[in-house]
Formats: sequence, structure tokens, C-alpha cells
Amino acid sequence: MSTSAKDAIRRRTVLSAGAAVAAAGVLPLGLVRGAYGATGTLRAGIAGYNVINTLDPGKHSLIPEAYVIWALFNALLKFNEKMEVVPDLAESFSVKDRTTLAFKLRKGVKFHDGSELTADDVKFTIERLQSDKYASPNKGKVSAIQEVKILDPYSIEIVTKQAFAPLLAFLTNARTGTQIVPRKAVEAMGDDAFARQPIGTGAYKIKTWKANESVSLVAHDGYFVKGQPALASVEISLIAEESSGVTALKGGQIDLTSTAPFADVPALEQDKSIKILKQPGMNCRFISVNHRKPPFDDVHFRRAISMAFDRSAMVKVVLFGEGVPSHGLIPPSLAYAYDPKPRETAVFNAERAKAELAKSKYASGFGEIPCLTWGSSWWKRIVEVFALQVNQTLGTKFTVEVNEANTVFQRQKSGDFLASVWGWLGPVDPDEYVGEILSTKGWRNFYGYSNPKLDELAEQGRSELDLAKRGEIYKAAENIAIEDAAVLPCFCSNIHNLMTTQVQGFTQLPYSNFGDQFAAIRMG
Amino acid sequence: MAAPEREPSLGWLRRMYGGRKVAAPRSLAYFAGRLLGAVVTVLAGALVVYVVMKAAPGDPALAVLGENARPDAVAAFRHKHHLDEPFAEQFWTWLSGMLRGDFGLSLTIAGGIPISQLIAARLPITAFIGLYAVLIAVAVSLTMGTIAAVRRGRAADTIATSIAVLGISMPDFWLSYMLVFAFALGWRIFPAYGFVSPTESALGALYSGFLPALAIAAPMAAVFSRMLRTSLLEAASRECVVVARSFGFSARFVFLHYVFRNALIPYVTIIGLQIRYLLGGVVVIERIFGIQGLGSLMVDAAFARDYPTVLACTIVFLTIVLLVNLVVDLLCMALDPRRSA
Repeated sequence: MSTSAKDAIRRRTVLSAGAAVAAAGVLPLGLVRGAYGATGTLRAGIAGYNVINTLDPGKHSLIPEAYVIWALFNALLKFNEKMEVVPDLAESFSVKDRTTLAFKLRKGVKFHDGSELTADDVKFTIERLQSDKYASPNKGKVSAIQEVKILDPYSIEIVTKQAFAPLLAFLTNARTGTQIVPRKAVEAMGDDAFARQPIGTGAYKIKTWKANESVSLVAHDGYFVKGQPALASVEISLIAEESSGVTALKGGQIDLTSTAPFADVPALEQDKSIKILKQPGMNCRFISVNHRKPPFDDVHFRRAISMAFDRSAMVKVVLFGEGVPSHGLIPPSLAYAYDPKPRETAVFNAERAKAELAKSKYASGFGEIPCLTWGSSWWKRIVEVFALQVNQTLGTKFTVEVNEANTVFQRQKSGDFLASVWGWLGPVDPDEYVGEILSTKGWRNFYGYSNPKLDELAEQGRSELDLAKRGEIYKAAENIAIEDAAVLPCFCSNIHNLMTTQVQGFTQLPYSNFGDQFAAIRMG
Repeated sequence: MAAPEREPSLGWLRRMYGGRKVAAPRSLAYFAGRLLGAVVTVLAGALVVYVVMKAAPGDPALAVLGENARPDAVAAFRHKHHLDEPFAEQFWTWLSGMLRGDFGLSLTIAGGIPISQLIAARLPITAFIGLYAVLIAVAVSLTMGTIAAVRRGRAADTIATSIAVLGISMPDFWLSYMLVFAFALGWRIFPAYGFVSPTESALGALYSGFLPALAIAAPMAAVFSRMLRTSLLEAASRECVVVARSFGFSARFVFLHYVFRNALIPYVTIIGLQIRYLLGGVVVIERIFGIQGLGSLMVDAAFARDYPTVLACTIVFLTIVLLVNLVVDLLCMALDPRRSA
């Protein structure tokens, strides 16, 4: 990290130039703007986040960290525009048997320090993630791996204890932490120094990183894709407020954003100077309920609540239409595991809701049920709309209890709640939704939900290597969970990227990708 | 008077300063007392903030490791940062470090970076924007307040007073957006987002900081103007002014020496009070314009449970507030020597 004036990011230099013009008494109308576009620099804004703690893939956990890491690193595999797993640092891969994946590495791939990628770096990356001492938050992605066998410097085999279908998705350049790091550099620098001055194989390498403010990247000349990257540098600003990201884009201070506020999207779509990419993201937003406590220990009560609110109305009011109602946790973009047919217990039906309530232990009423949420934005509105609708339909007494996100998460984990809003963004494998949120031992299952039939299906899903068959397993598993009203799915929200019309070559993927696209971006 | 008996140890100072009246011994005792009070206030403040922060739910490990964190990773993080030690021990570790001038490392919002480095980067920014805003507010209020008082009851007064009411009633974040829409997105004179630190370019800071400084200055200017107008009118109706007039002093002389000077005391006091607002109250504006100020640092740190950073900010804030209070008192003494007696 450097904070010297020499390394001042481009935006600043340009602003100062504008200041000089202004000071000279010349109105810098348009001039400021002209100067911005005329460089080989992409000014990318990460909007809504301003904290990056680490740029070490293995240690990363926050989404803004991933946004940058994706530009600096590659993984063995990646997702293409159809969300199929394709080779990245691997030249090819094959399923050798039920527990062995074989990879051929690309030859001549250079890390930012000039050293060449070999099978040893891959082995090192995976074993580092697995080690207890390193304590990676992404350890779970590789815990199924038993051994990494080096056959020659460009051939490896990854052996799992049992057949483990999610592994391919977990070895992509997504929120996985399995991006390949160079053994020599990491061992020489130590983990802490590497986290500040990371060395990857990505199209861009790190130049400076200013805490809570910006990250500057410069092109990696030795990048293994011919003709990439097209731009000399990328200046990433960390913009705490999503709406400030929009004004910065409109004002010409940045060229691309990582997100956009839902409320602004309808108006931005009318703006001809802005390109907007959107699609339902890989996320699930739901109301979680505590099965260990009354009234949610009663399946009829849970079903009654689940059928007592209109998810389409929620999408309109909360998201300004920027999303799709959910009747399960798996998002539509995981097409092979997504069942488009609405599940009845997750569709608004006042009559059935009342009937279910009458069957429940709490038919005579229950008293106040606080539902946790946080902040003042759409997360809070989800609960407001939920409580209002359910109370109107059933006469229940749901109230809105506002905490901080961190607190809400902790209260869910410790079981100190009745109901709460929650959601996940970016999981790329159906097991992360069904196996981890709904199965009895799933680590995201804070709710005490347990159904042996679902557990069995989740286990099957993990070991079924045929994609189509695997998809059917998850559809069946979700049928069970939603029939039990394990959680109350609300919607899957759209992801957005805003950019000026000059930005060419950004392909949006539903897991909310970002830095991985910098390599392909050109300024038209 | 019993003063010499009470403060015998200060004789050396009186001798050193010879016959000069400025540093009277009583003032020195006053400053010593204030300094002691200040140290106690800062430490007590830090302790209160620490206790409240620890009592609030939330875990820094979650802020860093995210919701995906597994229990062993959380435990490792807590151990590495001594969060598993007893409360008193943690506070003592922090305090002893702080007393040696070491604020420690940021826990969650800039993991592993020395907090002193964060503060060193942000203090000039907060100071610059604050001074910029105060200067604008003072320039505007001196003009508007004086005109309103001198032209009391006339059109100029009505206009100035109305502008002041408008300034007070407009929320500053709303004004910020209006300024951005007009000057940045509309006429494109100023940048809509982004602030150049004065340590990088003074001109750049003046240029990119103008809109936020204006947004911060507007409500302050309104308050200052009203205060100045009221105190000018009050001062003008004092008997000494009537006496001065009766001596045949010129209206200008009477205004400057009898009215304006007296009216400045409440005016300076209220400017001092507003400094507190400049430290933490402008976080919303800092957010809108992307200014990396101290207030934002503290708010971010509080949300992310970055205990040492919040504590360091508390210390800096309290110190600044106490210093500003001192400066205000000194200014008031200079304006009205009777106060130093």
C-alpha cells in the first residue's frame, strides 16, 4: 500500500487539472468530461461498499473483495456466458472417475511477478485453503478434497473422498476462494503481506490500494489471453452509497458500477447516455423462522404465514419490479435445478392460509411476533410489506424490529429470534442453497429445520455427477422444504451494472461478476 | 487578594514574564486545571465508548470473515486479535498502547492497517472541509447578519432573514443532492462525486470540495447570520452605545468598537459549537460526495465493530472539541478582557 502523491489515482489528477482550469477563470464545462474519456483507463465504481480487508482469495469473504480479486486472479475453471463451467487456467479437464477430476494446465501462464504457473501452485493453493492454521473462511469449498496429485508440471488430479458434484463450481473464479496463488511468492511474503500486495495470473495487477477509498490496477503484460487486457489501467473507487455511484456515473467521474439502487433503475432505463445490464441474480431473499420456538414449531402455522403474503406485490413495492417472486430458494439462473412451476405453499392464497391457521396450535392467536431486519432500505421494506400483508390476511401481530445486519445475523445464529429477513448473494451451486440452508446439518441452517427425506436428497445431490439428474433431485428436495414451509422464500432480486455507452465488452453473469470482465473491456 | 498565597509555585512564571500583564498567574492555573480536566474527559469518554461498544451485540469477526465464515475461522480471528481475552485486559492493552502513542491496527474496516495511518490520511480532509465550510459560512453570515441588523425592518433585512430561515430549514443532504443536480449533472461545473485530498492538491481540494463545503456551510451560515443579527441589535441598544453617541463619535466608530465587538462574543461561541457538528454530523454529506472524512471512518468502524478504530476516533474527536472550546474561550477573552479576570 502506498499513499504517495505520485500514486494519486487518475481521477484525482484529472480533478486537479479541472481545478486549475477553474482557478484560471475558464469555466471547465465539458472540458472536465472530455479529459476523462480520453485515457486508456476504466474507472470502475464498487457502489454500496467501501470496505476491503484482504485481496488474498483464500481469505476473502466480502463481495467487494471478490469484485477486485476476480481481476487479479484466475481459477482453474470459470463460468461462461451460459453459466457453464469451462476451463480457465486449465487447458482442459475431465471426470476420470466418480472421485477424480483430471486437469491439464495451460502452458506459459505467468504470474504478475513473472514466475510461471505450474501444478505445484495449484496443489499449494488447495492445501493452503484446507490448512487449519490458515483458517480460511472458504475452507468448505475444498474440504471434500482428499488429495491433489501432481502427475507432471502441467497435469494434476484432484481426488475427493466421495463423489462431490459441487466441486467443479467451487473451482471457478467466482466467490470460491480457490483462485490460484503462487507458492513461492506467498511463502516468501507471508499471508498478511500477500493479502495487501497480491500476485495472481489475472489480466490486471495491483498498483496501489487506499483503505476504504480506492484500488488501482495496471495491465499485466504477460496475461495469457491474446489481446487482453485492452486498457492500460483500472481505477476502482469504493463508493459507500449506491446512489452516489449513480451520480458519479452520470457526472462522468466513473464509467462502470457494480450495482444500482432498485428505485433508480426505472428512471435510468430512460437515460440514453447510460447502458444498463440486468437479470435475476444468483440470490435468494427469504423470511427465516425459528423452528425451535413457538409459533414456528407448528408446520400449519408456518404454511399459513407462507401463503398469507403476495410475493409479486412485494417485488413491485420493495424492488420497483426489479426481481421475480420466489417459490423456492434456488434462483432461476441455476436453470437445471430450478422448477418454474410455482409451489402452492409459497403462493398467496388467503383462503388456504386461513384454513391452515385454523388447523394450527395457534389458531386462537399468538401475540406479538417480532421480525428482524436492518437498515432503512429495501431490507427493511421486505419485512414491512411482509408484516403488513400477513397481519391483514390472518390478523397476526407481526412487528418490524430493526437491528444492524451484523446483529441480525448473530441473533439468527444463536437462535435468539422468532422470524427474520435474510438472503444470500452469489452461491453458484444448488447445494449451497438446498444442502447448506435446508439440510439438518447445513451450516447456513440456523433455523432448526430438519427433515430426513430432504437430508437424503441433499446427500444424493452432492454425489450425482449427471447435471440433469442432479437438477431433478434438487427440485424434489425443494418441493419437500417448501411444503414444510422451512423458510418463506420472497423473491430473487435483479443484479445490475450501469455503464457509460463507451464501455464495451462487459458480460454480466448472474452471480454478480465484476473484475473478471475488466480483461475484455474496451472503451469505444 | 489571597491569590499569591494560593499559587506560590507560579512566581517563576511571573518573574519570567516581567511586568507583562498577559500571562496572569490565575490564567495559568486556569489552563492547568483545564488541561487536567481535558485528559480526564478524554479518558472517561474513551472508557464509556468502549463499554457501550462492547455491550452492543455484533462481532468484528463476522464483519471481516462475512456470513460465510465457519466457526474455526471465527475462533482463529478472535484469538489473533485478542478478542477472546477478558474485557478489562483488552481495554488495558489498548490504553497502554495508546498512552505510548500507538493506536494499534484496524480490525475490520481496513484490516491490518495502522489506525494512526488512517487518521493521518483523514484528519487533513476533515479539517480542510470543515474550515472551508466555516469560512464560507462566516463570510456569508458576516455580510448577511450585518446588513440585516443595520437595515433592520427594511427590505434587505427581510430578504436576509428569509434566506436564513430557508437555510436552517433545508436538510443538508437534500441541499447536497440539489447542488449535485444543478452544478454537477446540469451545468457540469463541479464533479458530482469524488474529493481530492488537500495533501495531494490544494487547488483540487478547493475545486472538488466546493459543493460539499457549500452544503455544509448553508445551514451554518443561516444560524450564524441570525445570531449575529440578534446580538448586533442587542449590543446596539446598550447604554454604552448611547453614551458613545452622545460623545459625538462617528456612527462607524461606534458600530465597530461598541456594537460589533460586543456582538462578536456570542457569534464566536456559536461558531465553536458548530465545530462539533463538523466532526461527526456531516457523515451524510461525506457519503454523498465520497469524502473520506473522520466522521465516516468512525461510523464505518462502529458498524463493523472495529473497536480500536472507534476508540482512536473518540480520542481525536474529544481532543479537537476540547481544543476548539479553548480557542473559543481565548478569543472571547481577547474580545472582552473582563472575562479573563
